[in-house]
Amino acid sequence: MNASDTTSRRWLWTGLILTGLFVIVPLLLSLAGRSYFYQIANTIMIFALLAASMHLVTGVAGLLQLGHAAFYGIGGYGAALLATHFKLSFAATIPLAGLMAALIAFLVAVPTMRLVSIYFAVATLGIGQMLHVITLNWVAVTKGPNGILLFGGMKLFDIDFSKPVPAYYLVAVIVAACVYVIHRLSHSYYGNALRALREDDQCADAMGINTPRLKLESFTVSGFFAGVAGALWAHTAGYISPADFNFNVSILILSMVVLGGLGSLPGSILGAIILIGLPEVLREFKAGDFRNIIIGVVLFGVILFQPRGLIGEVSALDFIRNQFGLGRKARSDGKQMRVGWL
Amino acid sequence: MSAFLETRQLGRTFGGLKAVDDVSMAIEQGELVGLIGPNGAGKTTLFNLISGFTTPTSGEVLLKGERIDGLTPHDIARRGIGRTFQNLRIFPNISVFDNVTVGAIGHENIGLGSIFPWQKAKSDRITHKSFEALEAVGLLADADDLAANISYGKRKYLEIARALAMQPDLLILDEPAAGLNETETRHLADFIRRLHREGRTIILIEHDMRLVMSICQRVIVLASGRKICDGTPERVQQDAGVLEAYLGVDE
Repeated sequence: MNASDTTSRRWLWTGLILTGLFVIVPLLLSLAGRSYFYQIANTIMIFALLAASMHLVTGVAGLLQLGHAAFYGIGGYGAALLATHFKLSFAATIPLAGLMAALIAFLVAVPTMRLVSIYFAVATLGIGQMLHVITLNWVAVTKGPNGILLFGGMKLFDIDFSKPVPAYYLVAVIVAACVYVIHRLSHSYYGNALRALREDDQCADAMGINTPRLKLESFTVSGFFAGVAGALWAHTAGYISPADFNFNVSILILSMVVLGGLGSLPGSILGAIILIGLPEVLREFKAGDFRNIIIGVVLFGVILFQPRGLIGEVSALDFIRNQFGLGRKARSDGKQMRVGWL
Repeated sequence: MSAFLETRQLGRTFGGLKAVDDVSMAIEQGELVGLIGPNGAGKTTLFNLISGFTTPTSGEVLLKGERIDGLTPHDIARRGIGRTFQNLRIFPNISVFDNVTVGAIGHENIGLGSIFPWQKAKSDRITHKSFEALEAVGLLADADDLAANISYGKRKYLEIARALAMQPDLLILDEPAAGLNETETRHLADFIRRLHREGRTIILIEHDMRLVMSICQRVIVLASGRKICDGTPERVQQDAGVLEAYLGVDE
């Protein structure tokens, strides 16, 4: 296997992913011709970003995050309030919503970083619940359980992105860019440092890894991307309410990450596709109330027979190293392998 | 000139227990020093005080003339102290190669910015150092295996490789021979000698008396938290206080 071979394989895979996202899926959606399907596609992409951002902090860095919906919600409410109260353009609200979520994540992380395992998880759980209660009860700002309607539409350079097809492309571009950054962080020596602190943070510290700083960074970055996802949700749905960001949503995102494989980026995206897509498919087949039971059985079965997830971390990293040529070539005793990161 | 590593009246109490009591020692550059003592003598606590895992209740630790007591373990590690652990702490769910990279990553101090292309030189150095360290311990053929799946003996070397990837000025090995059989221990002795010949400063904590006496030029003996002897292996073996500490006192 020579260098040009791996380069061409990398382009092949990148090409396949981009064609799928920007050509094949839109084509299928337009053939189906129902705007509802576009909404499902957007929801899948938004949750793929949520799962990917939780993958970074829970799967790679090993910090069990039970309040991810809080940062998703900060992004959602942040974007909605910036758009309705301050009449900011929709393009400005997306990064600002991400920054707001990142700032809150940072403030939450500073005192909680010293906590370990289950204590950290319970602290994040508390943050999630707190935010939910605030959005429900601070009626003057959040309109409480009634939620917020976004009238502005999505206008950028006088182009209206509110119609199904442009909205799809807009979400796809932003989600793809964010997932690319998460991919760069997880599949590099930075990712190795995070994995080390997941495996044994004291030991990683003795190796010269600044573990408190790394925890803080991964939690903040994860919060940023959850915030961006929230802003995309607010704009594409056109309406948000506290129920969109409650504890169940945190658990749903966690289920996606675990179903796909803790520590596996392709896995968390697959998890999002399955857990958002499957209920919709079952709805089409008129499965009625059996839907939730079927989803429960799928989750249960995967954890029972494939405890490391559908695409486990080891196979995911092997795949990225070999098919994307991101590992270093090594040879020993006639054995060829790819190790480390480019 | 001050010593390479120095402790001055170093002490640590846990409740009423003096785990390390008034220990002063000096290690010169290029030395291979053995640290021995009966169970509970405070060897590992002394190690933890030097590497920043435990903060001293009294005294000072100096590395190359600068005080390092009170610093975090990662700061001390970056100043050039690499260590292994008594009860083998590798990262089980990542590959052998990825384990070793962690030492090099700590040395390079990479951060969020590492995703930018202009940081590529850093990751090249990490790769290079990790290959070097794996080659030094002879584990290159196992590079892409999960660390959990290699044999116990290999894991011991993996831990040393990870410490070597930190490019340490001082290498502290905490009971590297524990759990190894006689042949493996001989191999390890050769390996430690080679590291020493290459110019590394090494402190070796060991229970295996034969290993320590055969490879170290100087041996420090701890008992009940105090330094009771410091000298050549021959001198230590004849010291009445050491014999007493190991064998007990006759009434």
